[in-house]
Amino acid sequence: MTDRVALAERLRRHFPWITLTTLTILVGFTDVNFLRPDNLLNLAADIVPLLIMAIGMTLVIYIGSIDLSSQSIANMATVLATIALPSAGVGAGVLVLAVGLAFGAVSGVVTTRLKVPSFISTLAVGGIALSVGQFASGQQALHMDAGQRLHAFGWMVGRTAGIPHELVVALLLVVVAWFIQGRMTAGRTFKAIGAGEPVAVSSGIRVERYKILAFALSGMFAAAAGLVFSVKLSGGSPTLAEGFLLPAIVAVLVGGTPLTGGVGGVINTVIGTMIVAVIRASMLYLNIPAMGQQIFFGLVLIVAIATTIDRSKMRIVK
Amino acid sequence: MKHGLVMDNIRKWVPFLVLLVLVLFFAAVNPHFLSLRNFARIAVSSSPALMVAVGATFVILMGSIDLSMEGTVAVCAVVFAMLLNRLGGSLAHMGWLAIPGAMIAGGVLGAVNGLIHVRLRIPSFMASLSMGFVGVGLSLLMTGGNRILIGDPLFRSLLTVRIMSFPLMAYAALGGLLVAWFIQGRTTIGRNFYAIGGGEDLARASGLNVGRVRVIGFVLAGVFFALGAVLAVARLGIAETETGTGFMFLSITSVVVGGTALAGGSGGVWNTLVGVLIVNVIGNGMVVVGLPDYLQDGVLGLLVITAVYLSMDRRGLSFAR
Repeated sequence: MTDRVALAERLRRHFPWITLTTLTILVGFTDVNFLRPDNLLNLAADIVPLLIMAIGMTLVIYIGSIDLSSQSIANMATVLATIALPSAGVGAGVLVLAVGLAFGAVSGVVTTRLKVPSFISTLAVGGIALSVGQFASGQQALHMDAGQRLHAFGWMVGRTAGIPHELVVALLLVVVAWFIQGRMTAGRTFKAIGAGEPVAVSSGIRVERYKILAFALSGMFAAAAGLVFSVKLSGGSPTLAEGFLLPAIVAVLVGGTPLTGGVGGVINTVIGTMIVAVIRASMLYLNIPAMGQQIFFGLVLIVAIATTIDRSKMRIVK
Repeated sequence: MKHGLVMDNIRKWVPFLVLLVLVLFFAAVNPHFLSLRNFARIAVSSSPALMVAVGATFVILMGSIDLSMEGTVAVCAVVFAMLLNRLGGSLAHMGWLAIPGAMIAGGVLGAVNGLIHVRLRIPSFMASLSMGFVGVGLSLLMTGGNRILIGDPLFRSLLTVRIMSFPLMAYAALGGLLVAWFIQGRTTIGRNFYAIGGGEDLARASGLNVGRVRVIGFVLAGVFFALGAVLAVARLGIAETETGTGFMFLSITSVVVGGTALAGGSGGVWNTLVGVLIVNVIGNGMVVVGLPDYLQDGVLGLLVITAVYLSMDRRGLSFAR
């Protein structure tokens, strides 16, 4: 009996990449062109902003909380980056990241110190970010000056030896997040909090501090996602990143980081994001309209949560 | 102990006092705020929000949460408009069936929410959020992204006909509120919501079928979302996916600001009325005072955090997720 449970557990850990491979092969069967390297590279480059946002979200879900403000922070970031570009150049990027970090930290403080559940605190902070974005943009779509964009962020777009630069940026951010998660005290603490917060508190870990850090990092990654997206589209608007929240959460959960936290992590989310990308692409091949996608991803989310969630941690499900 | 009771009593009236202070403040800045016409305007924007927020109240009383309203309201609005136009386009003939039709749609979506939450044992905020996304997609699929216009004069009379300078929809919402009040206070299921919110372990130990009550709570919420959807359509004469936009943040804010505790067990539909009025007075007042309306989201965000902070009983709470 225990053997079978252990086997199921071990299988579950490999489930994400098995899903990814299966899906890729299945889509490859319907259209061989899908498997061409340049197509796959394009596909990967297209989801870079989503990947960055999902990576940040992973850290928060890893500690058993949730961040619903990512999309609004990314929206705000596109606006702020576009506005700050003429005066600050590359500094616009730094500024945007700092603002994201600050908003995330506020969510963290509200969640830990004021003991407001994270889905409410991040919803509220998201509301504030939305207001800031609308206020700063005057509710208009803004455009970046082509020369300034190229000068400050030209390194982010374009290709070297066929590899899109966004992918390199994304890879760097993944490595950073992976390093934080696996090789730093913070990351180990995140795992301890996700695995069992009361135990972490009892062991004398300053849990609140680390939770705030996780939220702050999530905010920063969301802002980075917005930055990359706005450079990519050469502009910003308070609704530019609309529709990112659902696929980002799906990517984290499908990748195998459960809502209860403690297991999974950044690399899982990379796989999860690729699964989302392949599903999206396959829907294009199957001619499923965009609105069908949302229904599908909503259902996938429910299934992913239901299969990965650790019910032993929840005595009462509210 | 006595001191604690006094504090509790004061705390109970805080939302109402906040509303009063807000009204006085905006009236002081701009006397036009106090005009009957402006109050009617506030009533029109509050009516759909009140129905949606009342629905959410039942779920929050149980200590769960429903974040599906954007999707559910959109689907119900579209179902209502399609049925109405299919059934002759007027409430006068067969068209009135569109209202129960929308309520059934809302109830079904609520039941799906509740069943996913209870049977799959998924936290309600995530189950309902996912279903909200599904609902938005569903409504887009049904409309193809188009708007459905409703021209029926009888239906639009909800907005156009005024009694004592308030439109009919305000009275309709008030009627809905009274029904909700009856359910909350005078029916077994209403008392059960409080029992579960106050302490699920106790409720279960006393033999209550907690799962069933939860599902019923979500169904009830869905039905009230549908009423909100019908009033929202009446307000603009248009049914589309956008009809649901903004309701999630707005209604959760209203419930929480009104003084219903997120942990469940305390508060109720009258609190929600006060909360909805606070939110809409702020929205209306900001415009009257001359501030851009999009600052609302930010102000409401701060308000939510403050309200949850003040209302939360932190004595038994070691950490928040």
